[in-house]
Amino acid sequence: MSPLLRFLAFAGIVGVVLTALPADAHHSFAMFDFTRTVTIHGTVKEFQWTNPHVVLWVNVPGKDPQKPDVWWLEMTSPGNLTRGGWNRKVLNTDDKVEVDLNPLRNGNLGGALIKVKNETTGQTYSTDLRDMERPGLH
Amino acid sequence: MVRGAMNTLVVLALFAGPSSGAAEAPATQATVINPPPGAADWAALAKLPDWSGVWTPFISDQNRRIKADPVPWRPEVAEQVKALEAEEHAGRPKGLFADCLPEGMPSWMLISHNAMEFLFTPGRISILGEMDANRLRRIYTDGRAHPPDPDPSFHGHSIGRWEGQTLVVDTVAVLPESYLAVSEAVGIPNNGDLHVVERFHLSEKDVLHDDLEITAPRILTRTWKTTRIWFRQRARKYDIVEGVCLQGFYAERKDARGNAVFVPIPHADGNPVPESVKSTP
Repeated sequence: MSPLLRFLAFAGIVGVVLTALPADAHHSFAMFDFTRTVTIHGTVKEFQWTNPHVVLWVNVPGKDPQKPDVWWLEMTSPGNLTRGGWNRKVLNTDDKVEVDLNPLRNGNLGGALIKVKNETTGQTYSTDLRDMERPGLH
Repeated sequence: MVRGAMNTLVVLALFAGPSSGAAEAPATQATVINPPPGAADWAALAKLPDWSGVWTPFISDQNRRIKADPVPWRPEVAEQVKALEAEEHAGRPKGLFADCLPEGMPSWMLISHNAMEFLFTPGRISILGEMDANRLRRIYTDGRAHPPDPDPSFHGHSIGRWEGQTLVVDTVAVLPESYLAVSEAVGIPNNGDLHVVERFHLSEKDVLHDDLEITAPRILTRTWKTTRIWFRQRARKYDIVEGVCLQGFYAERKDARGNAVFVPIPHADGNPVPESVKSTP
């Protein structure tokens, strides 16, 4: 079973647990399950390079052949990502991507982005802020 | 000190109402603030330590300090904190800052994940940061005192002085609603009478310490002392960037006339609705 199917099966079991905060706003990441990693493959729907959290929207083939599932994936801020080697043009609409993520605990199609490989350009980007704490890196 | 002694000016205010005809002239004393800097004031800046560049919070240490320097919450407050922690651990974090209001003082210094920079100008030090629609602390170093009754604000009223290479900052008049937060999901409003004393100093060339003494009598049993660490971007390749928190609620779209506009991203169950980004106005 693929990680996605495993995740969807899991999501079906736990059902939907509602959270009460806007996910785009400046918030704790505790709504994501950092004990689990899910990998999805799809194409970029939109790369939203905005504060406080950059968001990647990904079209992923789902049950409906006419309409892909849409995943939203959160990252840290543009300023922090820039210092980690990103910029607003590293991902573009229709790029093929492989994304590792920590899924939402509530079972919705979303998560905290760990790493994204842009299969169109061959480049990989990760989001760990703590990478910047290594001496000499910057 | 960047500036010399406080400049004062005695202002005679005449109150001679047309009907009263009173000739009394009560004297009030006003402080001249923001005097025009002279060459000596600009030259004095060169003697200050080099805090130029972009400073990034040491996030791992923030988390460690919460355990190492536990907050002396009042018992009734500790219960609230425990409940917030339980909710966060259960994956239901309270979004203390989800409204995009500023983290304010002292939370900016305590929990920020975003970079900041210092500007030294005569009589003042400014700390600028990313997020909150662009963060700003104004720290007056011209020798003034706090105003007798300042309007409360998210960052309060700050005065500073140099003790050798250490900047000592005294902050009052913070809004009671401003959180004392230990994470983005765990924090309590200071509820008033907050007083923060900070000592900023370099521990090594690219490492800045902010030694904080936080007095919040309505929520703490005693002054809480802790330290936050910031390190300088060593390669000096990056600038502070604009950080408008509310921007994340909007998608960039074109309206019917082709104008570039922001369109709200609807949310459901607290999360953005992915399909909504397809639509155009």
